[in-house]
Amino acid sequence: MATAPLVEKPPAPVAEPPAAHPKKGILSYWRLYAAISPFYLLFLAFGLIPVGFSLYLSFHRWDGLGSMEYAGLSQYRYLLSDTDFWSSIGNTLIIWALATFPMIFLAMITAVMLNSAVRFKNVYRFAYFLPNVTSVVAVAIIFGSVFSTNFGLVNALLQAVGLDQIAWLNTPWGIKVAIATLMTWQWTGYNAIIFLAGLQTIPGELYEAARMDGAGPVQTFFRITLPLMRPVLLFVLVISTVTGLQSFSEPQVLLQSTANESTFSGGPDHAGRTMVLYFFQQTFDNNDFGYGAAVAWGIFLVVVIFSIVNWRLVQRRGED
Amino acid sequence: MRLSRRGLLRAGLAGTAATALGGLASGCAVPTGSTGRNMVLWYWSGGLSDTVVKKAKARYDSAVDLDAIQIGGYYRSKLITTMTGQAHVPDIAGLKGEDMASYLPNADQFVDLRTLGAEKLKSQYLDWKWQQGVAPDGSLVGFPIDVGPVVQYYQPAVYEKAGLAYEPDDVSKEMGTWDQFFAAGEQLKKRVRGAFILTDITSVFEMSIGQGTQRFVDEDKHFIGDQEHVRVCWDRAVEAKRRGLASSIVTGTPDSISATESGELPSQLNASWAAGDLKLQYPKTKGRWRVANCPGGPSNVGGSFLAITKACREPEKAFEIITWLLNADNQAQGFMDAGLFPSTPASYELKKLRENDPFFGDQITMDVYGPAAEKIPVAFNSPYDVALGQPIRDEIKNVGVLGKNPEKAWKDAMSKCRRIADHLGVSY
Repeated sequence: MATAPLVEKPPAPVAEPPAAHPKKGILSYWRLYAAISPFYLLFLAFGLIPVGFSLYLSFHRWDGLGSMEYAGLSQYRYLLSDTDFWSSIGNTLIIWALATFPMIFLAMITAVMLNSAVRFKNVYRFAYFLPNVTSVVAVAIIFGSVFSTNFGLVNALLQAVGLDQIAWLNTPWGIKVAIATLMTWQWTGYNAIIFLAGLQTIPGELYEAARMDGAGPVQTFFRITLPLMRPVLLFVLVISTVTGLQSFSEPQVLLQSTANESTFSGGPDHAGRTMVLYFFQQTFDNNDFGYGAAVAWGIFLVVVIFSIVNWRLVQRRGED
Repeated sequence: MRLSRRGLLRAGLAGTAATALGGLASGCAVPTGSTGRNMVLWYWSGGLSDTVVKKAKARYDSAVDLDAIQIGGYYRSKLITTMTGQAHVPDIAGLKGEDMASYLPNADQFVDLRTLGAEKLKSQYLDWKWQQGVAPDGSLVGFPIDVGPVVQYYQPAVYEKAGLAYEPDDVSKEMGTWDQFFAAGEQLKKRVRGAFILTDITSVFEMSIGQGTQRFVDEDKHFIGDQEHVRVCWDRAVEAKRRGLASSIVTGTPDSISATESGELPSQLNASWAAGDLKLQYPKTKGRWRVANCPGGPSNVGGSFLAITKACREPEKAFEIITWLLNADNQAQGFMDAGLFPSTPASYELKKLRENDPFFGDQITMDVYGPAAEKIPVAFNSPYDVALGQPIRDEIKNVGVLGKNPEKAWKDAMSKCRRIADHLGVSY
């Protein structure tokens, strides 16, 4: 590949409207296009082409090494009738709901508290953000201990209050709660920081005016803070949906099983088998790459639909 | 020469673009495999003895540059990705035992070791292990590294307290069958409060399957997981549940660690390599363990192979290296370094493997492992075995952990198996 000649060209006239010579306009901006090209080239090579290939793959049967067999729509037909896939969607949504709503609630409270005058604000911010940068794997291992039956912290607390022990990692609901708690713990601080940024954009005059009109703190929160925070809330909700619906490491590490079992089974009764975990199991345990690709596209559709529904709900609530 | 800022920018840009495009372009022209002087070996941490690998490097230094790379993470997918990409494919690749069934249908990606004179060495290796490396078309894909004979690890002090046999020979004799083992489990439960002979019932099912000569799918791509040989294993695990012989503890949690240390879980049915895990996890229990035969006969868990890929330029040299790495002497070293139990019976007689192990109360554990390894039954392992065994394993777990009705669980497992068989084109 030869490098471009380093001849001085007169710089492109900036004032010239591109509409006059559309073709010449685009060409005359080649330097700018070249400047942004690295990202697009990399994205093409490592993003778009693999995505396209996975779509191609989902119409085939392939064990990852041998030759591919054309399978038409049969992978998708099986996907629709695959009860395991549907139950994994159910698991994912339940875990997502158990994790997201408490998380948004806690994050909002945290942010409002941080937004009022406290000392060491930056220390708090740092502390709240910390869970988000810890390794999920390490956290999951710790949470495995926290939720263990006989020596777990949670059960110790339950017993201290005089309640019975719960075999968290051995019951379908316990598993879901444990995974959701882990996700909540990990993301609350991160979202609190985002909320805090949103809170700080609300002009102080509004609060002052509200105080003058005799609004209490609760009223102020619901009449001023919440409506103005709507775009931020929407952002957080969409991001949480996309990350929450793709949860994989949390159940995988939390429910790691013995050597003679798959690490992607998701515990007893597959209670913790999320969509991505199922995709992984089908692809890498069963070496069924074609079906794995079909599952991946199924996941994609679910996430898209869910994000749209989310968007609509939050939008509408704002219009009422 | 004075460079204007703009010129500098442009030069930088052109350079970046050239690098980016050059990088992309060079991706199409890499040599596959080795170039003759270089011999790349892929394995994973603990897959081979590091001492032996180092020795091999020095030994073959004049002929080739042996580059042994430990691949971390999900080994199998990295290997097949590289092989499918047909670039930088290792000359010699380790293949894990549990993945073997999925490699064998693609035997054409590997060199048939028979063409390099492997048959001459066949008698030095365990026959059942050798068979596991043979593809459906008869070619030899994998050369045996190690095996994982299953034994019963137990704490004699707890057995003695329960009034059970506690010397290794006696335990092997008096708990030789599953029935005897279960009876012992009932006695243990009665006499020692809170103690269970089994952590979970899944291990009973798993070891029982391994003791048979058939698994879930046969050579003709036919589902046989609904037949008597599987049903017997299933019923045995269900019986262990019914008689309350298994704890409700999840393996690998802090609960299981403390229960093992305190003697509430005094027994483990596990492969030879689990001895290393015991020593690592429970250093405090040194001397409190013994090894005896697994009830119901020997079975195997794990164990791997080395293979030569089609990308290798010098298969003869690679074969020479493999056979040297895996000769009886070096396999003995592998057992001492990494707990890799030799697939070469000649190693079992070596003095260095017949030493008293202080962790096991100075027992010579080879006396139990060795005979077990030689008697492991041969069973056909189909590429569809994992997918079609999974529903049955899942359901036995539901019986054990959630107390699901065994009949319903069996029915559910079978209907799921049939659905998966349909999808994979397996007949039933």
